[in-house]
Amino acid sequence: MDKKPDIRKILGKSQRIWILAAVMLVLTLLQPGVFLTGANMKSILLSISVYGIMVCGTIFPILLGGIDLSVGAVAAAAGAFTVTWIVDHGFTDGAVAVGVLGGLFLGAAVGMVHGVIVTQFSVPPFLITLATQNIVYGVAQLLTENNVIACMEPASFAFLGGGRLLGVPFSIWIMMIMAVISYIILGKTVFGRNVYAVGGNAEACRLSGVRSRLVIIMSYVASGLTAALSGIVLASMNRQAIAKAAQGYDNYVLTALVVGGASLMGGEGSIQGAIWGAFLVGVISNGLRLVGVASDYHGVVKCVVILAAVALDAHVRYKKSGLQKTSPFFKKKEKAKA
Amino acid sequence: MRQENMRRLISVASLVILALVFGFTSNGFFTATNILSILRECAITGIIAIGVSFVIITAGIDLSTGAIVGFVSMLCANLLYNYALPAGLVMFISVLAGTVCGVLNGFVVTKLRVPEFIATLSTQYLFRSLVFVFAIREMGVITNKKITDPGILIMGGSVNGVYLVTITFFALAVIGQVILKKTKLGTYIYATGANRKSADLSGINTDNVRWAVFIITGFLCGIASIFEIGRIGSATTDLGTGLEFEVIAAVVIGGCAFSGGRGDIFGTAVGAIFMAVLQNGILKYNLPTAAQLIIKGVVIVAMIVFDSVYNQYMQKRIHQKASEEAQAAGGEA
Amino acid sequence: MPALLEMKEIEKSFNGSPVLKKVNFSVEPGEVHALMGENGAGKSTLIKILTGIYPKDGGQIYWNGEPVSVEHRKDAASLGIGVIYQELSLIPTLTVMQNVMLGKEQSKFGFVNARKMKQKVAGLIEKYGFHVRADEVVETLTIAQRQTVEILKALSEESRLIIMDEPTASLSAKESDALFGIIEQLRRDGVSVIYISHRLEEVYRLSDRLTVLRDGVTEAVLAKEQIIPADVVRLMIGKELSEATASNNLRTSDAPVRLKVGNLCKKGVFHDISFEIHKGEIVGFAGLVGAGRTEVMRCIYGADPYDSGTVEFEGKPLAKQITKNIANGFGFVPEDRRNQGFTPLLSIEKNVALTNYDTLAAGGFVKAAAEKKLGVEMVGRLAIKPGDSQIPVGNLSGGNQQKAVLAKWLSRGLKLLIIDEPTAGIDIGAKDEIYKILENLAENGTSVIMVSSDLQELLRVSQRIVVMRKGEIFTEFASGRITQEDVLMAESGILTSGAKGGAPQGEAGTVAKEGGTNG
Repeated sequence: MDKKPDIRKILGKSQRIWILAAVMLVLTLLQPGVFLTGANMKSILLSISVYGIMVCGTIFPILLGGIDLSVGAVAAAAGAFTVTWIVDHGFTDGAVAVGVLGGLFLGAAVGMVHGVIVTQFSVPPFLITLATQNIVYGVAQLLTENNVIACMEPASFAFLGGGRLLGVPFSIWIMMIMAVISYIILGKTVFGRNVYAVGGNAEACRLSGVRSRLVIIMSYVASGLTAALSGIVLASMNRQAIAKAAQGYDNYVLTALVVGGASLMGGEGSIQGAIWGAFLVGVISNGLRLVGVASDYHGVVKCVVILAAVALDAHVRYKKSGLQKTSPFFKKKEKAKA
Repeated sequence: MRQENMRRLISVASLVILALVFGFTSNGFFTATNILSILRECAITGIIAIGVSFVIITAGIDLSTGAIVGFVSMLCANLLYNYALPAGLVMFISVLAGTVCGVLNGFVVTKLRVPEFIATLSTQYLFRSLVFVFAIREMGVITNKKITDPGILIMGGSVNGVYLVTITFFALAVIGQVILKKTKLGTYIYATGANRKSADLSGINTDNVRWAVFIITGFLCGIASIFEIGRIGSATTDLGTGLEFEVIAAVVIGGCAFSGGRGDIFGTAVGAIFMAVLQNGILKYNLPTAAQLIIKGVVIVAMIVFDSVYNQYMQKRIHQKASEEAQAAGGEA
Repeated sequence: MPALLEMKEIEKSFNGSPVLKKVNFSVEPGEVHALMGENGAGKSTLIKILTGIYPKDGGQIYWNGEPVSVEHRKDAASLGIGVIYQELSLIPTLTVMQNVMLGKEQSKFGFVNARKMKQKVAGLIEKYGFHVRADEVVETLTIAQRQTVEILKALSEESRLIIMDEPTASLSAKESDALFGIIEQLRRDGVSVIYISHRLEEVYRLSDRLTVLRDGVTEAVLAKEQIIPADVVRLMIGKELSEATASNNLRTSDAPVRLKVGNLCKKGVFHDISFEIHKGEIVGFAGLVGAGRTEVMRCIYGADPYDSGTVEFEGKPLAKQITKNIANGFGFVPEDRRNQGFTPLLSIEKNVALTNYDTLAAGGFVKAAAEKKLGVEMVGRLAIKPGDSQIPVGNLSGGNQQKAVLAKWLSRGLKLLIIDEPTAGIDIGAKDEIYKILENLAENGTSVIMVSSDLQELLRVSQRIVVMRKGEIFTEFASGRITQEDVLMAESGILTSGAKGGAPQGEAGTVAKEGGTNG
């Protein structure tokens, strides 16, 4: 039994806060009077809230060793549905309720399709979520007829993204509530336990009576739901729905999850880590912009950050090899058995 | 080779059926101009798909190809506009830049041991970001400048109606197929994908094989970029977005399985043509872009699912057949 | 003339426990030399040292009289040693000739000279009369044919010595015969074969000499005339042991029947499997590799589908879904502990809880306190070390990992536990603990089906022993005291006088005499 040089363990809960604080300190020093202002903080929080909501659901398929690349498109489509419904039905509160539910349903339905295709047909998750991305994006375009659909009322809708509760933007509240819900599900329910188990060894779970198929499908549904919710919030924040909304958000979500300690091989990760990752991504993006690093280079930074985190994870696992992983999705070994 | 042939037949059949459907339900599909246009459309995807086929046969994946094309194209446009470099030199740089991108991909995958899809997903962000770095700006604002160098623009042209890019694609496809079927590298590509451990045991350097296929893909992206800017005449910041998906879809529809060790360039070429036919045919219906996207997406998803189901079914049948034969040969297992 | 291969006083220890204690082993040119020994005798370690997979701790290897060092696989290959493992390592989508020449293609500027390759391979095929064609794609071939491709590979590398590890495990009788013909041909060509097998009749038929390993020592080297199955078995087991460790009094229980299996069939894997398990009984399932025991058990449990037959549990037909069977009191400890038994990243507590959420949760929510309590309880009850229920199972030693897997099931009220190779890779001390656990279970009314290749274990624990062979039930030992020899002989298809049991099913009238070959 050898010692695990697990950097992620080192980044335990309290250390995460320190790292975030350190980064913020550096940025404050670099951009005094600009970074640590109320307006800037608010802007950071608002953008974080959107993909922060997403990570709460996308963490599920990631824990299984899968991935969901369609979250940006789903967000846009759900936002588009909600807004167009509200606009077409008189901007009433009732319309808001139906619109929101419809948007959420859309997200869940897309997730269901993903889950079924992954389990029944063994299509790799990245491929199917990439493929449906186009379809869902098309749906978003269809709904908005490629226009910008403005939606500034009713107040109930605007509140979702723009309102404030106790001084904090409501979208942040939503993110925190989702984070708590995910935390409870992952940490306190049988389903949550099963997600970690299936992500760690799907065959052992099957033999232990876990209904792996269901676990996988529900995980993708969860990812679709949160993507939809974030899209609705985004539409409310922007007071409009546009087909290209949330483009590139799958990129933020992935970075946040990976930096937050989720392993792309499955079985490892936490919601606290993911939210922290989202905060870190938001602060660093904002910081880079302020410091004058052109947004052009953000991609470079993101790439390096993701690669560093993943390479570390891969390296730790590679060194610990002897742990053979059974991914629920890929069975590459040929079995010549009589 | 029977399973390979069966799969090829299915790819070709799908293509023919799709073409017939479009041919009979729309106008102007089976005209010479249209067919030449289809052959032109499939070429960029096809050229890159050759490399990605190699990658997928090694049981890998490359999600960065679209971004590489975007980056290299922008780089070339920049060099042409800002430095007025001669066309020949720019084309050389294009290919070189693409190859370097491929080298990076291979490095991350084989040396940093990062799984292919996350490796190429993150290099995708990197390359896409480089597009902005090299974008042509006037007073800080990105402007789209037309390319005027005839040496480049001629690449978008045709000879007797047949587009240069199409000819290049077919030539490269033939070379690709020859590599796969007649060279050591080709054998090693199949071996690495089908059973990496065995390949290692047989003395094959699978890391180098996997690195090589990424380099080849980068190289081909460089070539494709030349034709892309030659045809469009400029480079926008979103050039190449979504291209990696088109390429992967073409490769999968053409018969290369993600499990590795299976497929060839013939199938991929058919897949690339299929994608072009699909795009071209849908356009003929004059549907709103949204509907086009959806229909196209649905067809692709259907083909992907079908491919998976087919693979599963064939695997089962092969094992069954083998055990049946064993039984027949001896009466007991 | 010097021996082709001579391994002198080879020593090897793992973690301080000696596995090979000055083993001597030699092979002459053009000889078929069988290597036999019980599990744990050291056969596979010796071979792994010879093929460069493990370094040796002491001793010397001589090849053609010259001392050599084998530190990598490449060293063995360049000496001319080829190995054919049970796990065939071919590339299914390539042809026979491509596989044979993999890594050694003749090429110019990267282009493979297909014609020359085909010539060479086809030549070898013709010479040995193999039933494959050079341009056939490997994935269309049967297991037997694939094996010949492996042999071709070894031959194409000019091997002078080919090691075959249980080559007939997955072959039919006819295919085995074909293989023997090939081995004959090899011998005529001066190629030596090290033949590792448990199948006495094959060894008797093929070998020029036989080396028996026992407990890390060369017990005997027999010449062809001296190879008598009964003697060999005694040597493998050890004279003192064979008399001292007879089984308990075997008996058929008179408790009510819990599990009744009737005519279970799975094409190409097993057929006509029928047996009964009583309440509180421990039934051992013996058999050589390839007998089909694991496959039968997996089908009964619901992990794999079967083609026909009936399975009744407490009088009612058994469900084919694992979840239902678990609810009915089934437990299943798989053979492949590492890949199928537990989730390595999760703690002991979480692994144990995996099967118990019907009691550890309410309304979907986990009762964390109860979960923790169960984890601690099981760690204590099974003496899992280190005694911390939060440790990831992947970090435990083999024996403790197995206990963790058992804990998963023992935490429930089990009616039937199927356990496959209960103590593989586990040290003596832990083995005993596991036997006690199983015996305890039985005393409390749980039925236990134990699949095992460890003869000592079978005799020590089982109340009845069923012997499977080549996908069928060969015989059953249900009375009197039997010895390891009896079981080992039965596994090879030979019924000794000490055994009770009817004629093997499906092969009427072919109870083999000692030393004969079973068809």
